[in-house]
Formats: sequence, structure tokens, C-alpha cells
Amino acid sequence: MAVKFSKTFLLRKLHQITGIVPLGMFFFVHMFTNSKAMNGEAAFNKAVKEIHDIPFLLLIEIFGIFVPLIFHSVYGILISAEAKPNALNYGYGRNWFYMLQRATGIFLFFFILFHVLNLRFGLVPYLNMTPVAGNADKAFAIVAGEFQITWVMVVYIFGILATAWHLAYGFFLFAVDWGIVIGEKAQKFTLAAGLGLAALLSFVGINAAFSFVRPCGLMPKFICEETKKPAPSGAAKF
Amino acid sequence: MTTNAHIEKKRLETPPATIKFKIQRREKEGAQAHWETFELQYRRNLNVISALMEIRKDPVTIEGKQTTPPVWDMSCLEQVCGICTMVIDGKVRQSCSALIDDLLLASNSDTVTLAPMSKFPNVRDLKVDRSKMFDHLKQVEAWIELDGTYDLGPGPHVPNELAQERYAFSRCMTCGCCLEACPQYGDDNYIGPQAIAQARLFNMHPTGKMTAEDRINGLLGDDGITNCGNAQNCIQVCPMSIPLTKAIYETNRDITVNTLFGWLKK
Repeated sequence: MAVKFSKTFLLRKLHQITGIVPLGMFFFVHMFTNSKAMNGEAAFNKAVKEIHDIPFLLLIEIFGIFVPLIFHSVYGILISAEAKPNALNYGYGRNWFYMLQRATGIFLFFFILFHVLNLRFGLVPYLNMTPVAGNADKAFAIVAGEFQITWVMVVYIFGILATAWHLAYGFFLFAVDWGIVIGEKAQKFTLAAGLGLAALLSFVGINAAFSFVRPCGLMPKFICEETKKPAPSGAAKF
Repeated sequence: MTTNAHIEKKRLETPPATIKFKIQRREKEGAQAHWETFELQYRRNLNVISALMEIRKDPVTIEGKQTTPPVWDMSCLEQVCGICTMVIDGKVRQSCSALIDDLLLASNSDTVTLAPMSKFPNVRDLKVDRSKMFDHLKQVEAWIELDGTYDLGPGPHVPNELAQERYAFSRCMTCGCCLEACPQYGDDNYIGPQAIAQARLFNMHPTGKMTAEDRINGLLGDDGITNCGNAQNCIQVCPMSIPLTKAIYETNRDITVNTLFGWLKK
């Protein structure tokens, strides 16, 4: 007997995979690039320049980021609209996480829209009007200028926290939805790993954001390249 | 909650003189629902059903208004038939095993709130029509094909481990707790954990396995298994401690390996 996939089935599976493969992967790369700001303006602008030099960049941007992002967020909002939240009566941890996944998703829809218009395109009135794309030499200055404004910084910190959580819990959801993780014990391990990942991504992301207003971000300055003194030659290693 | 949670009985040390029952009333399907409060003398060892029986003897509300006796469903009175399921103090459970002392201790008040399950058509007062759940069982063909035009013979033996695992799923009494607590269930857009667990039960059976694809097909529709939102309330409220999430995720694996990527075998 042949199997029949319904539209909902295929769209849900697509929603689950787009969250991990293009978007999750992109977030790791994004945080890695941002963290280069720890080493100062020149290092960050060089990183942006290197992105500009990626072959097929426009196609990658459209089909690797924008199309999956629009699909994932629009379909995610449709899924959220179906929810009948009941965490007040059934206040179990994973029921709250269910709520939180939808709440962060809806927040991220607006945050990412703002973020892309603000920095990628430079189209948010009264804020930065220079797109980072195509202006690699000004990239650090543009972002640093935005992050001087307190409310913008606060919005970005919430954006990073929400993304880190949504992605890390998304890994757990993907693992159970695709039948990778099944049993109760395995779920607990996966969830613990997810919580750890969320904390790590949050820290890396927020640290990178602070790197635009303070050298080396939240980390002690000695670990960053720019301020590191060259080790005296011939000195004992231990 | 475990199946034998009632064994450790908690006692209300200083019980109130009277207890109030706030009950959602509805005259018939489609009629406007309203609330009525009744008052009862406290006595030891009351449960929700015995309290309701007490109320229906003389259905006078706390304001002194004579009203109709509340209607509810009940049968086994030992939490194995599932028919007396209702929403008690905001949580779905069987009313026969809901002890008043436990409820008052949990809510720290003298009031017990009773409402019908919200995800099923409300026939009257606390009685609901759960036939949707039987439609779901038909949708996933939750049965085993026995003899057809010829004798299929006895089924093969199964390892004890498999029998134990299947036994857990076989305890389902179709009470509806999992569906009521599921934030994704409702408006006919999700088949719910009950039918998924039953599909799993019969797909694990050596004879049932032969028609496994038919059951999986019943879960691939627009109301299928992918509508699960992993809130996992089902496993928390299931009075029979059925590993419902395990059934869902095992079926997810089955679908990923055999259905989604099944074409890789061709």
C-alpha cells in the first residue's frame, strides 16, 4: 500500500528541518563572525569582507537564508496560532517550554525583521541608514553606533536570548519529531544538552554584542588577540 | 501521578464544616453554560462521585434555588473504565478516584470546581460525548486482522520484553485525559496521543505488523502525528501511566526511517 503524505505532514517536516539545517547552521556561523569583534574593528571588518567574497553569495543569501527564514517564520506563526495554551492549569515544565517556543518564535519574527532591516539593509528610520552589506569597511562602526543606543542594545540582547533558546530547544524538538530520541531517559539527556547549548549560545552572542561597545566584550581583555602581549621569547613554558 | 497514587491516602487534619461544589451546568448540547454552587456537610472519605450523588438527592444551590440534579457519567468506580473523566479544579482526571481530602489539601480551600472536558461535545452538565476517540481508533485501524477466508493459524510467540511494552499501551481506557490536556488537540486538527499509542500497540504485534502501513497512513493526514507539539501533558495526566510520548516518538522514527526515507530502499 502506497503511503500518502498530506500537505500538513510535508510542511511540518519542512518546518522542522529548515529550523535546523539552514537556519540553525547559519546562526552558529553568525555568532562565530560576530565574536570576531572581540579582536577589534579591523578583525571584524575583515570577517565581513570575507563573507562578501563568498562565491554565489546572493544565491546563498536568498535560498540558504531568506527563503527558509520566511517559510520557517510564517509557517511557525500559523502553527502557534493553532495552540490552545493551558500552562496555567497544567504547569509542567515541558508545557511551559511549549509555550516559550511559540512566544520566542513570535518575538523573533519581529526581532529578525527589525534586525535585517536595521543592519543588513539600513532601512529603519531614525536609526542606522547604511547597510552593512556592501560596506564591509564600515561594518564595525555601523554596529557600534547602533549599540551605543541603550534600547537598541536591550532589544538585541533579548533577540540573542530568544534565538539561543528557540534554537537549542528546537534541537530537542527535532530529535523527538524525527524519532532520533525516543525514551524518557534519552529525552532528559537531550534536554539537558539543549539547556547547556542555550546558555552557551546566549553567552557567546551577548559577549559578541558587547564587543562592539567594549574591547573583548564581557571577557577579560587578556584573552583577546588585539591586547595580548607577545610572549617573551626564551621564557620558561611552565 | 501513578496508577496506585490513591494508596497513600492523605487526610485533612482540620476539615471545614461544609464544602462547596462549583459545577458547570449546561441544559443540553449547544445551550449556554452557567455555574451553580452547592454546599455539602463535610464527611470523611468523600470522593467527587459520592459528593455528586449527595448533591443530586436534593439539588438546591447555595442561594437556596431549587435546580435540576447534575448529570454525569460513571460506571466502574475504580478508575478502569474512564467514563467519569471530568475537569476537577482545572485538571482533567477521573472523578471516582478524586478524593475530596486530596483536592482540598491541594487547593488549600473549601471549594471543589467541576467542569466537563472542554475538547468533547458537552451533552449535558458534566457528561460529554467521546465518540470522536472511537473515530480516531478507526482512522488508525487499531485492531488486528484475524481470520479472513481461511484460518491464519495461531499468532507467533512474542518476547516477554515486547509483551510488557505492549501491555503498557493496552491499558488505555479511552478516557480522554490526554486529549483534554493536549494544547494541540481540538478543532479536529490533531488525532491526539490516544490513537497514536493504539496504532503503536497494534504495529508492535507480530500479526498487526503486517498491516502496519495502513495504520501509519492514518497518521500521515492533515490531522496526523506531525501536529504533536511536544508539550508532553499527555504523559503527565494519563491515569494509566501509558508511555504516550514514547509511542509518538517511536512512531516518528518508524515514519522517518520507513516512510519518509523509504524510497531510498527502492
